[in-house]
Amino acid sequence: MSARLDDGVRPGEIVLEHASRAFSVRADRGRSLKELLIGRARAGGPPPVEALKDVSLRIEPGETVGIVGRNGAGKSSTLRVLSGIVPLNSGRVACGGQVVAQLELGAGFGRDFSGRENIFLNGALHGLVKEQIEERMAAIVEFSELDDFIDAPVATYSSGMFLRLGFAIAAHLDADVLLIDEVLAVGDEAFQRKCEARIAEQIAAGATLVLVSHDAALIERTCRRVVVLDGGRKIFDGPVGEGMPFYHRLMGTPEEVAAP
Amino acid sequence: MAYRYLFEQMVRRELRQKYKGSALGVLWYLVNPLVLMGAYYLMFGIIFKVAGPDQPEQYPLFLLIGLVVWIFFSQSLLSSAPSLLEHGALVRKARFPRESIPASVVTVQLVTFVVLLALLAPVTIAIRGTLDPALLLLPLVLACLFAFVLGLALAVSVLHAYFRDVAPILSAALLPWFFMSPIFFEPESITQRATARFVLEWVNPVAPFIGSVRDVIYGGAVPQAADLGYILVAATLALVGGIVLFRRMQGELAVVV
Repeated sequence: MSARLDDGVRPGEIVLEHASRAFSVRADRGRSLKELLIGRARAGGPPPVEALKDVSLRIEPGETVGIVGRNGAGKSSTLRVLSGIVPLNSGRVACGGQVVAQLELGAGFGRDFSGRENIFLNGALHGLVKEQIEERMAAIVEFSELDDFIDAPVATYSSGMFLRLGFAIAAHLDADVLLIDEVLAVGDEAFQRKCEARIAEQIAAGATLVLVSHDAALIERTCRRVVVLDGGRKIFDGPVGEGMPFYHRLMGTPEEVAAP
Repeated sequence: MAYRYLFEQMVRRELRQKYKGSALGVLWYLVNPLVLMGAYYLMFGIIFKVAGPDQPEQYPLFLLIGLVVWIFFSQSLLSSAPSLLEHGALVRKARFPRESIPASVVTVQLVTFVVLLALLAPVTIAIRGTLDPALLLLPLVLACLFAFVLGLALAVSVLHAYFRDVAPILSAALLPWFFMSPIFFEPESITQRATARFVLEWVNPVAPFIGSVRDVIYGGAVPQAADLGYILVAATLALVGGIVLFRRMQGELAVVV
């Protein structure tokens, strides 16, 4: 049940070769027919932003990689490219096996549907069938700590409950590759610890992790390798012990403050 | 077909989402077409009797059968055009076959259509006595109609995501298109000019579908070979074209919706 049709990568392996991607920055993202008919007549306006410039990256199955950088460095774009949601302008991307992207917890929840109904819908979005979701239902409900609220419409949930449900679903999907974008800063501390523990379990089971976060301590706890992006380029790739000091120097943060 | 269950879930969501919390719930899907059918019945069946088929007192049945086909066609396109934008959160943040969005919209309309037809067909057959082996062709005709509409729905949904003029153009075009379609008239009874009849019967791709559904239910006769050939070809072209266009254009969907 591979979520991607990729040539020659093993489950859990990630390959990014000379990847480039630009985004146009326009308020109305769709084009109008007028523009199409007149041609690209609309001059002016900001030029496209190059979110990724010639980035190459090879991640072996089971590696844990943190991606850090300033706002707009291309971290989230990297994850969107790796998850296959956004195509590259040039270069090659491949992600082997079942890829679970947690870019926004609870994206696509039907607000009028109960938590339980959303578990079925969300599981289906990841390619699971009914029986597979039913098997995991009890574990997901327990993990989410929603108890009786699981049968209430998610529109009635607090934002914490919403996110807990989103994480609980994603955490039970048998990922070969986990792509996580700054979603662990959800819920209270106890729930965060539980999420981290769950991710550690998945890594122990052989999953590859790519984590985007501004939380240096989290990266240091979770990842052994770190990639620093700046202006869409990879400027550091190596062990977390060297990468985080490099990142702190880049950001102008005193290292002692962030050191554990 | 790992994603068959996803499709089932999407249909369920589509069916329940729109009217959830309302008193009538999914029955609203039937109320609108029934009101429309009532209005046209009053208008063209009672007040203005347009040049219709042989027996005027059975004209309302003639009209309503054409109308349910049209309602399926037009409602499917109108509601699938903005569907990718309405599911923007999903398209931007999750990776799944996006075809399932317009496909679920059309499927919900198909359910409505089949229910309306199931109300209308027995009445027509009983009153007109048109129970004929030709009825066995109905599943084939409906399958062609579904494929035709699904193909067009895939195309308009992906086109509208990139070019936001598509849905307004579509809704503007559907009104004259409705009056050009053989819903409340038969082309041969309003014009004798060959070119005009050719346009009404063959240039409008919806016409042969309406004609074929009407032939088997209302007429109790096998549609002409030309009609059957036409709907088979139109269904294939629309479906293949729609899928190809959708696949080619869907790459940037997460960026544009």
